[in-house]
Amino acid sequence: METDLLIIGGGPAGLNAAYEAASHGIETLVIEESFSMGGQLRQQTQVLDKLPKQFEKQRGTTLARTLIEKLSTLNVKVLLKHTMIGTYQDGRIGVSNGVKTIPITAKRIIVTTGAAEEASVFPGWTLPGVMTIGAAQILMNREYVQPGKNALVLGSNTFSLEIVKQFKEMGVTVRGIIESNSELISKHEKIIKSIKKDGIPLYLNSYIENATGVGEVQKVTLNHNGITEEMNIDLVCIGKGVAPILEPFEIMNCSFTYQIRLGGWVPQYSISMETSSPSAYIAGNAAGITSMGGILLTGQLAAVSVAESLGFLNEKLATEKRASLWKELHCIETTADLREVFNARMALIKDYHEEANLLPSSLFDLSLEEC
Amino acid sequence: MDKSTIVCRCEEINIDEIESAIKMGAHTFDDIKRITRCGMGPCQAKICTTLVQRIISEYTDKPLSDIGPSRMRMPLKLTRIGVLAGNKESSSVISVFSESASKEGETKND
Repeated sequence: METDLLIIGGGPAGLNAAYEAASHGIETLVIEESFSMGGQLRQQTQVLDKLPKQFEKQRGTTLARTLIEKLSTLNVKVLLKHTMIGTYQDGRIGVSNGVKTIPITAKRIIVTTGAAEEASVFPGWTLPGVMTIGAAQILMNREYVQPGKNALVLGSNTFSLEIVKQFKEMGVTVRGIIESNSELISKHEKIIKSIKKDGIPLYLNSYIENATGVGEVQKVTLNHNGITEEMNIDLVCIGKGVAPILEPFEIMNCSFTYQIRLGGWVPQYSISMETSSPSAYIAGNAAGITSMGGILLTGQLAAVSVAESLGFLNEKLATEKRASLWKELHCIETTADLREVFNARMALIKDYHEEANLLPSSLFDLSLEEC
Repeated sequence: MDKSTIVCRCEEINIDEIESAIKMGAHTFDDIKRITRCGMGPCQAKICTTLVQRIISEYTDKPLSDIGPSRMRMPLKLTRIGVLAGNKESSSVISVFSESASKEGETKND
């Protein structure tokens, strides 16, 4: 199979990249390992604000449909239930649908594999009933299953707190939010206020000593400032954040760097979202954990750069477009309290430009006043 | 924490086994994997990589940025061997195994 552009991953970043690329006339192929497109948006029922300006404020599930519908009139081919399993020596991508392996020749590749949730170890964490907070969200919003009745949430990032809010609506009693640090990880004042108003106990400087039960989790021992407390619990949700999925990048020989603010190990990339592997680009959470706005904009940025490199956009137009997208990304990531993410992203790009002897970009000096 | 706590669910490797491997000189996830089989089960280290890296970091007092990502290999997902080599259409896919395929095998299939 041959295509101008292959996009690996049909989540928000991949879909937005496909739209941008195909609007310039680029023949685009999207492969998605799941049975439908939309990625994590498919279970995000919360209203997403701070989206890029071409999108209205909407629920995640609606946004997934919006993105898919936008592609319907364009030259975009989608292969569902297809997974990248490797590369050939000549650079072709090996894609499997479970029956056969298909080599795909693409002039350019955008990898938008997203991120995976991190686990946390404590005695009993392998018991049924202990899951990641994202798994609980999938159970509620996609499968319409109540994940448990009495829950403990381990970790206090904004995503965890959002799900805690939803637990209340779904009749799940949250018996506490456990945070090992001395303050909450989330800085989202509105959610924190509402959690406190609901009277959900916040255990700072705390950790789970163990979870026990026969066949499933039944009891959890909590250590709160050195004092232990036993609770009857049937659901423990681990919300320790997410890290970029790196396998495809490693197979394509991309170089990596460590940026804790971006989720740990991340592929290196330039201001054009190009990785160190020839003709491979990156976007979305794989390029550093961010908000939906950042996910969509990096997808668009990668596609603009692909359009330029394939001659569908001239250098001047592409540079202008990139500059305006970076400014928008800067504004979104700064106002959404992701300033540290944006700074880490810029530091990564700057380092990479220096290491790879790429031209420095004027975009490195984006200042706050421009928002 | 109880040293018998499982870290790699697929292969049932516990903290004690990982710490013993570190004592033997293991200092990356891949070292631990070679010694203990940690990360070699069906999930292919998707859950335990960062957990093990954190244990190494705590045990050796090194920052996580010094521990390095693990080596990821093809095929990236659980794949039936027949999908790679079974039918005629995909017989050229032997190079997916380029790391282990012999020179002769490659030319024969190219």
